[in-house]
Amino acid sequence: MIIFLGKRFAYLILTMLIVSILLFLLLEVNGQAVAIKVLGPYSLEEQRQIWLERNGYFDPIWTRYLDWLGRMVSGDFGESIRFKVPVGDVLWPRLLNTAILGGVVFAVMVPLALALGVLAGMREGSALDRTISIGSVITTSIPEFASAVLLSALFVFWLGWLPGTSNMMNGFDPMQLVLPVTVLVLYGFGYIARMTRASMAEVMQTPYIRTAVLKGLPYKHVITRHALRNALIAPFTVIMLQINWLLSGVIVVEFFFAYKGFGALLLEASLNQDIYMIQACAMVAVFVAVATQTIADIGYTYLNPRIRFT
Amino acid sequence: MSNGKNPRNVLTKEDYDDLGKTHPAIPDLADALHQGRLARRDFLRTVTLLGLSAGAAYGLAGRIAGDGSVTSARAQESPKMGGHLNWSMNVKDISDPAIYDWSEKGNVARQILDPLCRVYPDNVTRPYLAERWEVSDDLKTWTFHLRQGVKWNNGDDFNADDVVFNFKRWLDPATGSSNLGRFSSMTVKEGDSTRMVDGAVEKIDDHTVRFNLATADLALPESMGDYPALIAHRRFADEGGNLIQNPVGTGPFLLRDFAVGERAVFTKRDPAEYWGDEIFLDGLTIVDHGDDHSAWLSALVSGQVQGLYRLINDLVPVVRGAPHLKLYETVTGQTGVARMKVTAAPFDNPLVRRAIQACIDHEKLLAFAYQGLGVPGEDHHVSPVHPEYYALPKLTQDYELARRLLAEAGYTDDNPLDVTIDCVTQPSWEPNTCQVIAEMVKPAGIIMNVNIMPGGTYWDRWTTAPLGFTSWTHRPLGVQVLNLAYRTGVPWNESSYSNPDFDATLDRALGLLDPDQRREVMGELERILQGDAVIIQPYWRSVFTASHQNVHGFEIQPAEELYFTKVWMA
Repeated sequence: MIIFLGKRFAYLILTMLIVSILLFLLLEVNGQAVAIKVLGPYSLEEQRQIWLERNGYFDPIWTRYLDWLGRMVSGDFGESIRFKVPVGDVLWPRLLNTAILGGVVFAVMVPLALALGVLAGMREGSALDRTISIGSVITTSIPEFASAVLLSALFVFWLGWLPGTSNMMNGFDPMQLVLPVTVLVLYGFGYIARMTRASMAEVMQTPYIRTAVLKGLPYKHVITRHALRNALIAPFTVIMLQINWLLSGVIVVEFFFAYKGFGALLLEASLNQDIYMIQACAMVAVFVAVATQTIADIGYTYLNPRIRFT
Repeated sequence: MSNGKNPRNVLTKEDYDDLGKTHPAIPDLADALHQGRLARRDFLRTVTLLGLSAGAAYGLAGRIAGDGSVTSARAQESPKMGGHLNWSMNVKDISDPAIYDWSEKGNVARQILDPLCRVYPDNVTRPYLAERWEVSDDLKTWTFHLRQGVKWNNGDDFNADDVVFNFKRWLDPATGSSNLGRFSSMTVKEGDSTRMVDGAVEKIDDHTVRFNLATADLALPESMGDYPALIAHRRFADEGGNLIQNPVGTGPFLLRDFAVGERAVFTKRDPAEYWGDEIFLDGLTIVDHGDDHSAWLSALVSGQVQGLYRLINDLVPVVRGAPHLKLYETVTGQTGVARMKVTAAPFDNPLVRRAIQACIDHEKLLAFAYQGLGVPGEDHHVSPVHPEYYALPKLTQDYELARRLLAEAGYTDDNPLDVTIDCVTQPSWEPNTCQVIAEMVKPAGIIMNVNIMPGGTYWDRWTTAPLGFTSWTHRPLGVQVLNLAYRTGVPWNESSYSNPDFDATLDRALGLLDPDQRREVMGELERILQGDAVIIQPYWRSVFTASHQNVHGFEIQPAEELYFTKVWMA
């Protein structure tokens, strides 16, 4: 177990190092461009040269990289060009906002999708299975930008039941989460439900389940104790991948509802070429991706005893 | 003339003498108004520029032309005190007012800072922090009398030192302020650099400042009303030079909370300390809903905000169909220009520029790209809403001419002209306009690629791209934009246009008081700029905004300046 964790941790560090080198090469090598972004397009050449000198841009590239990496590791991401405050002051609250949004989406989406997937998979070909399957396909086929517009038109413009944006201007307001969460759940749940259904249907066909049923075990026990654990391996992979999607793949939803989250921040940083913010966001996104992958690997071993820590 | 009276019968000799003391040209302008040679709005604009107070100007126009006050309708409303107003607009960095390059920055800072002059919704400029001004006959010496009893919110008195400090800072090239071009009449060129003329800004006493211009500038008060000309405290630079960290101002509100991309929260100042009329609102929050204009509208419809900074033309029908919302519309001098950098190939060849110009049908461009909500442009950046606009013969689309010019420039079907126009993604009318231009130049054999890029990327290169589409905000006088964007060497001269004849003619226009004479000179300027084919100017666009029906006292201003001093909520 310790060797396994050590390996996964080393893999995480290696991935992040490679990403950091790529980021550094992409964004930091052209010091002149960085100086223009920081000082503005009207800055004088002399001002830019002073800035470059003061910030070590004339040092050898490896020295600059190590300095830069040291600052990143210690949490000093620099000052945001767009927001004019330290990157961390904007990044962490935005990350928390996305964690809240993602947490609520998960809390609704995962039980719903698993329940529907299991129900459909238990009785493959039944009316319930067909209804759930078609419903899942339809909701997953509608992209977020379309369902966001449709739901806004219905609940904001026509019925007037829900707030139109979710920027939490006057503090946390659960009502403002309703629309973004609904859009994300509609888009995401079908995928998990379909995966669960397929996996469940496959497990239900296996001899050991038939044996369990023929042995006279209560059907509930067959499902919960024997079928479910095996059926959850594939959906578990999908669920873990959804964490990455909820971190940086929700840009459309955050943008549409003006939700001040990590996805919207990444977009704003990119549109405004906020170099230090982009670097920090990218490192956080990569960390979360690799960390969730590690957690998923550990999770498999519990779900499937055939997989061992090595 | 609506009342049929001779103004000499309406105005007494004493009246004429008094008017002549304010400025010798005012009696003639009164005659011109009476004889119908001068429009009422032009009369109001010119006499207020010459130092007549707004009240006196309106009274005079009413006595001569016989119509009543334009503000009578507002007087019937009975404002209600209190309430906190939420308004949707992008919140950008406002740390240094001298280098603002977005109207939105000015709109946030305008709640805590004031300009010397203000361009009102009727497009007439009136004194604001200044109380009045006098101008010499040659329009080179302007004496500004500052309002007394104005307090900064740190307790200091507003005085002439504040004004002198700001002008010196703006006109120092190291500051990087666009005011260097705006107040070019106070500068002199030395080699490649520009500096303030010695003695251009002179403190006479604590509440009087004299501007000694190198060249006449009729538009001086108008320029003082532009958004980068908000007056900061005299110790602004010494105290950190950051308005967010040290929000000292003379304006109606106090800045309580500020975060770029999120919000700017204000509370009203103690009425005893604020120089203007008491503010009806208790507070104001400007909320950033990002760049998606449909999110702004969603926030308005669901009551999260009570008004918008801007309503894009695509969403106008939605507001028209919503009974609880008010739509505001104004015809403006706001526009966008596809400008060609005359120092960069292939646009350094006038034949190429003229060929592109010959492909454009401005009427169709307006119809396709902006739903016809405006007035067609004429490629010279002077609008029919400007008082000195001179109507040139309309440009016509002529593909034959375009092909001939291209052939002369060495471009054939085998060797077509292939160019790329850079523009921003938002607002959508800008890329839409570029797409239509690209389609219009196709029949002449020109390949125009549209490079749509994020705002942050475009605004880094808006002055350097060989071909770019740039939006320009409204300015009350035509000469102002020409001074900012086409005079040799000024910071916002994005096309690098340099024409000594143009500069000299512009100087002449800035020194002419009589609107008729100025119009003639503007005709020359328009002809020069149009003939040199520096820009494709598709149209002058109407601008829109919206609020809830319970918002009263708000008026849309052609440059989309936000003032909430008269706004109240029912």
